[in-house]
Amino acid sequence: MIAVIGLVVGVVAGLVLQPTVPAELQPYLPIAVVAALDAIFGGVRAMLDGIFDDRVFLISFLSNVIVAALIVFLGDQLGVGSQLSTAVVVVLGIRIFSNAASIRRHLFKA
Amino acid sequence: MTTRHSTTPPAGRRPDASMTLLNEVYSSSLDEGYALAAARRAAGTGPRQYTARRAVVLVVAVGVGLASSAAAIALHQPTAAAQEARELLEKSIVERNEEAAALQEEVTALSAQLAALQAALVGSGSTALREAAAEGAVEAGQLPVTGPGLRVELADAPAADPDAGDDDARVQDVDLQIVVNGLWSSGAEAIAINGQRVTSTTAIRSAGSAVLVDLVPLSGPYRVEALGNPVDLQTGLARDTAGQLLTALRTTYGIGVDISRQDSLSLPGAGQVTLRYAVVPEDALPQELRPTPAAEPSTDAPAGDDVGSDDGTSEFSLDASARVGDAPVVAVSSGEARVAGSAQHAAAAARKPSGDVREPGEGRS
Repeated sequence: MIAVIGLVVGVVAGLVLQPTVPAELQPYLPIAVVAALDAIFGGVRAMLDGIFDDRVFLISFLSNVIVAALIVFLGDQLGVGSQLSTAVVVVLGIRIFSNAASIRRHLFKA
Repeated sequence: MTTRHSTTPPAGRRPDASMTLLNEVYSSSLDEGYALAAARRAAGTGPRQYTARRAVVLVVAVGVGLASSAAAIALHQPTAAAQEARELLEKSIVERNEEAAALQEEVTALSAQLAALQAALVGSGSTALREAAAEGAVEAGQLPVTGPGLRVELADAPAADPDAGDDDARVQDVDLQIVVNGLWSSGAEAIAINGQRVTSTTAIRSAGSAVLVDLVPLSGPYRVEALGNPVDLQTGLARDTAGQLLTALRTTYGIGVDISRQDSLSLPGAGQVTLRYAVVPEDALPQELRPTPAAEPSTDAPAGDDVGSDDGTSEFSLDASARVGDAPVVAVSSGEARVAGSAQHAAAAARKPSGDVREPGEGRS
C-alpha cells in the first residue's frame, strides 16, 4: 500500500513542479507510458485478487518501462523502431485489456 | 483417412498450439511475481517488513510517480511548442506592422518636408506655380486631403466563412476596382480604401483571401472613401456600371453595401510616388531607327542641353513630385479629366522633360 501512496505523492509533486524531460528521452515516452499503464492495471488486478505486493509492483513497473524504452531504442538503432514500437504496443495492449477485463469482473461481477 | 488428416490432435499437443503466442500473452497478463510473492507470504518465507525497506519502496514509488507525470506532461509539449511558435509569429507580425506604420509616418513627414522645401524654392513670387504644384501633389495622392465626399462601405456576406473558400460571398479585388473606377469617373478627386490612398499607380488585387491595396493587406469591411461633391458622386456611381455591380452584390451575394454622404472625410497621403519607366537599349533598335550621331539628338528635348546628353538617363531619374509639377494640366476634377490626368502622368514619365515648363528647383532633384 505504501507504494501506491508514494506513487500518488509523486504524481501530485510532478503536476505541481512540472519537471522537464530531457530531449533525448522524448522518443521513448509514449511507449514508457503504455508500459507504466500495463504495470498499473496489473497492480490493481493483483490488489483485487488479494495478492498485491509493493515490491513486485514497483519492480514490474520499472522493468516494464525500461524494457519497453530499451526495445524502442534498439529498434531505432536497427532501423525498425516503428515496427518494434507496434509490437510492444500490441503485447502491452492485450495485457492491459485482459487485466482490465479481470478488474471489471472483480468490480461488477460481470 | 490417414492419420495425417485426422481431426483429433496427437496426444500431448494442445488443439490451439498454433496460437501459443497469443495465449501466452493473454493468460499471463498478470505478473507472476504477485502470485509467487503471495505464495511466499502464505508459506511464511517472505522477506520481513523492515522500516528501511518500506522507506526505499516509498522513495522509489515517489520517483516513479514523478517520472510518470513528467512523461505525461512532456507528451503534451508538442501542442505547447506549436502554440509558442504561433505566438512568436503573431508577435513578429505585430512588430513588423508597427515598423511599417512608423516608416509610413516617416514617409508622410518627409513628403510634407519636401513639399515645404519645394514651396520655398518656388518662392513667394510665383504663387500660381506653387499652387499648381500643390494641386498636382494632391492630385497625385501625395498629400493628405480633407473635405466632403462619399463613403461606400462593402462588407463580406454574414454567412461567409473565411475558411470555407466561398469567394462569391466575399468582397473581391474586382469589386473594389470597379467601385474605385466608378468613383473616379463620377468626379472623385481623391480616393482611399481603409485609409490607404489610391493613386494613379495603385494596384488593387487579391492574394488568397486578402485584398491588397498597394501591397498592404486589408480586411473587411472595406471603406472606400472618395472626396468630391457627394451628390454628384452618388448619382454618378448609380449611373455607372459600379452601381449595377453594387446592386448585384447586395441582392445576389448578400454582400453588405452601405453608401453614405460624409460632410468631412480626411484621407491620408500616399507619400512619394515613384514612377517607373522603360527604355529600349540603343543597340536593340533596328539599324534604320538608330539615331545618327550627326542628327539632332531628340526632337522633344530642344532645351535639354543643361540636363544631360541624349542617352537620357540622368533626366529620367527625376522623382514624381517634379513630374507632377511638369504636367501642364493639373486642375483635374472631372472624370474625363482624371483619366486624362493619369494619361498625362504616364506621358510625362515616358517623355523627356521639356525645358519650357520646368520649375527652378527641378533640375537639382
